[in-house]
This record gives sequence, C-alpha cells and structure tokens, in this order.
Amino acid sequence: MTSEPIDDQRAIALLRAGDEQAFEALVARHYATMMAVARTYVKSRAVAEEVVQEAWLGVLQSLDRFEGRSSLKTWIIAIVINKAKTRAVREGRSVPFTALGPDEPAVDPSRFRRRGEIYAGHWRTPPSAAPDVVAQDRETLWVAMRAIADLPPAQQTVMRMRDLEGSSADEVCSTLEISAANQRVLLHRARSRVRAALEVHLSA
Amino acid sequence: MIGYKFLRADGSTVFSGFSWPLPGSEPGPWVEVPVHPCRSGIHACRAGDLSYWVGETLYEIELDGEIVEQRHKVIASRGRLLRRVRAWEDGLRDEFTRMCANRAHEIARAEPVLTALDEDIEPSISDGPAMLGFMAAAIAEERGGMDAYRAERERQAAWLAERLRS
Amino acid sequence: MRDHHLTCQEIVELVTDYLEYALDSETAAQFEEHINFCDGCAAYLGQMRAAIETVGSVEPEDVPQETLDGLLVAFREWKRT
Repeated sequence: MTSEPIDDQRAIALLRAGDEQAFEALVARHYATMMAVARTYVKSRAVAEEVVQEAWLGVLQSLDRFEGRSSLKTWIIAIVINKAKTRAVREGRSVPFTALGPDEPAVDPSRFRRRGEIYAGHWRTPPSAAPDVVAQDRETLWVAMRAIADLPPAQQTVMRMRDLEGSSADEVCSTLEISAANQRVLLHRARSRVRAALEVHLSA
Repeated sequence: MIGYKFLRADGSTVFSGFSWPLPGSEPGPWVEVPVHPCRSGIHACRAGDLSYWVGETLYEIELDGEIVEQRHKVIASRGRLLRRVRAWEDGLRDEFTRMCANRAHEIARAEPVLTALDEDIEPSISDGPAMLGFMAAAIAEERGGMDAYRAERERQAAWLAERLRS
Repeated sequence: MRDHHLTCQEIVELVTDYLEYALDSETAAQFEEHINFCDGCAAYLGQMRAAIETVGSVEPEDVPQETLDGLLVAFREWKRT
C-alpha cells in the first residue's frame, strides 16, 4: 500500500490550520483515484480535471461537516462522484458504472488449445512459474503504474481503491454504488490486464 | 483426527507457500491458525480425498481444535505433522503414476476416437502423479461425463487408501 | 454442478473470485484440484498474486504542476474566508 497516511482527524486539523504542505500531500495521495472516478462520468480528461478541482473546493468547504463516519478517502470520493454526476447531467450524459462494457478475456485466447484439439481449453503456452521474490524494482513498479494508468476509468477506479489504497470490497461497492458482482468483474479485468503487462515485462 | 497432507519437496504447501515444520523421529510442533471455511485453516485429506491432492511428499497429520469437514478436504485450526510417509516417495508415488497411466490407456484404447488422448499419456509420465491422475479422470470423462471423472477419482483414492493402510 | 472439468481457460476467469472468496464451495474445490495438477495455472495464480503485491507498492503519481498550482491558489483563498 502507499505509505501509511497520517490519520484522518490529523489531516483535517492540519487543513483547518491552513497547512499547505498537508493539503498538497492530501491532493497528491488522492488525485489519481479522483481523476479515474471523474473520468467514469465525464468524457474528456480536461472536464475531469475541472470536476476534480471542484471536488477539492467542495472538500475544503465541507470540512466542518466531515463526521468521520466514513474514512476521509471515501468521503472525498463521494464528493467527486457528486460533482461528476452533476457535470455529466449538465452535459447530457447518462450515468455509468452500471454498464460494464463488452466482455474481455483475462488471457489472450490463443494461449489456450482450441475446441476440437485434445485438452481444449488447456494451456498451449503456459506462463512460467512466478519467482519466489516479488519484483519491486523501479522499472517493474513503473510498468505497473503505466498499466494502471492505461486502464479504462471504471476498472482503474476499482483497482486503485482496492489494491493501492486497501479499501474493502464493501467500502468500494457502497462508495461507487455498484453491486459486489460488478465490482469483482471490474477488479478482475483490471488485475488481468496488469498481470499481462507485468508478464511481458518480467519475461523480457 | 489423523489425516494426510501432501507438501512440496521443500515442505511448503502448494497453495499458500507456507513452510511446515517437518517431523523427524518426533512429530513436528503444533501449528495454529484461525478457521474460516474456504478461507484460512489447515487443509488436510482424509483417505478418500487423497487422489485430488497428490504431490511430491506425503505426511501423516494430526488435526485438533476446530475441524470442518468439506467435500474433498478437512480444514482445522490446529495441526502437526506426525511422520513422513516414506512409502510414498520410495515407490508408491511412481506406482500410482503408472497405475493412472495404465487406466488412462485402458479407457482410451476402448474407443478409436480417443487415440490422440492415448498417445499423450506416456509423454506426460514425467509430469508426475497429479497430472496422470487428472489425465485418467479426464479420459474417463470423455467417455462417461463428469460422473465418470468423479468415479475415476474415487477409484484412485481407494487404490491409495488401501496401500497406505498396510 | 458443472458438467465438465474446469479448463485452464476457465480457471483464469475464476482467479479473482477465488482470491475474493466468492466461489461456491464446489467450484472452489474444483479450482484447487486443478491448481494441484496444473503447473501452468499454479504459475498463473502466482503471477496474479505477485501482480497484486506489486500494484500495492506503487506510489501515487505526481500531480500535474498546473493542477497543483491552481489548487494551492484555491486553498489560500479558502483560508482567507
């Protein structure tokens, strides 16, 4: 996970005290996820940027109303969703996340034996065994970061919330207002793509 | 409760990579984990489950604490390895592999359409007992569906249980 | 009850549900049985676990400077009110 953040109440206290460094740090920590969320609702990156900036204003303006019932990070995401939905409605777009999009196989079908061959559906070119030590070198992390950034927004949002920020499935489902099943589909697709990107990088 | 546990040659489990403290002349120390069905817990086989889990090495395991019996395995909160079943590595494993290969041939050769499957058996011997156990069951499935697959697995388990009893 | 044994192509689609403990017990048993004999799928599961761990180590990306500057301006304005 990203380095342990100072706890929510402390972060809010620092913001109220006008601490710019704390604000910058908070922005840095949440920006990418906020952008991914915004982009699931609005089409252009530029508009998503505006939504995120509006959301930060909203965060600051509602600081006093944060009761700590949810975590700060889910509260921030809820504000982004609010701003994004409003913007989407203004642009005449219908609200997403319910639409999962077309099926995508976790692995290129050509890696498996075809129907009619013996042991159809079994590996033709199996992956090589995962090494004992998980690669944490800079280049590998960069490949992972790029793979995440390239994910479609809905998949990227779920992966960021679950696997980078460590939110639970329940938290993600209630914040994004999606079913457990849909959350798993999005997580599955995201993880499959990232695994594939890392496989290419690590086998090179 | 006494059961069985297959481990990799280095004493680690196939699924979680956990390294078991191995027994010597004495049983190994007790290992404790919280049990959550289908989640955490110590996994072990009863005699009838063996065929599904064949691996490189075999141990007798004593289970205690909270024990949950599932279809093809048992999950417990406490376990300790009692002894290494040398018979498995000393010949039983290879015998099992050969037995499954022979069964696979027998079933495949009964139907001309299964020739391709038949030819794949001998080249796969080096893949070991788990692979051959699967192949025999999968070839049985070609003839008789999933019922035949399961029946073949049970046959394999009975074969193993009989030899381990003695 | 499934009418055929799980293939590798099916296994790779079930991995997430398996790791999320969302498989029914019958399918979970078949999943584990498959992993036990299939080195390819055992490797795949290992790669998936490793990918999740790697992702967990990714640090947040840099915020575009322009965005940060704009937000700081907004922050200072908010401070004043």
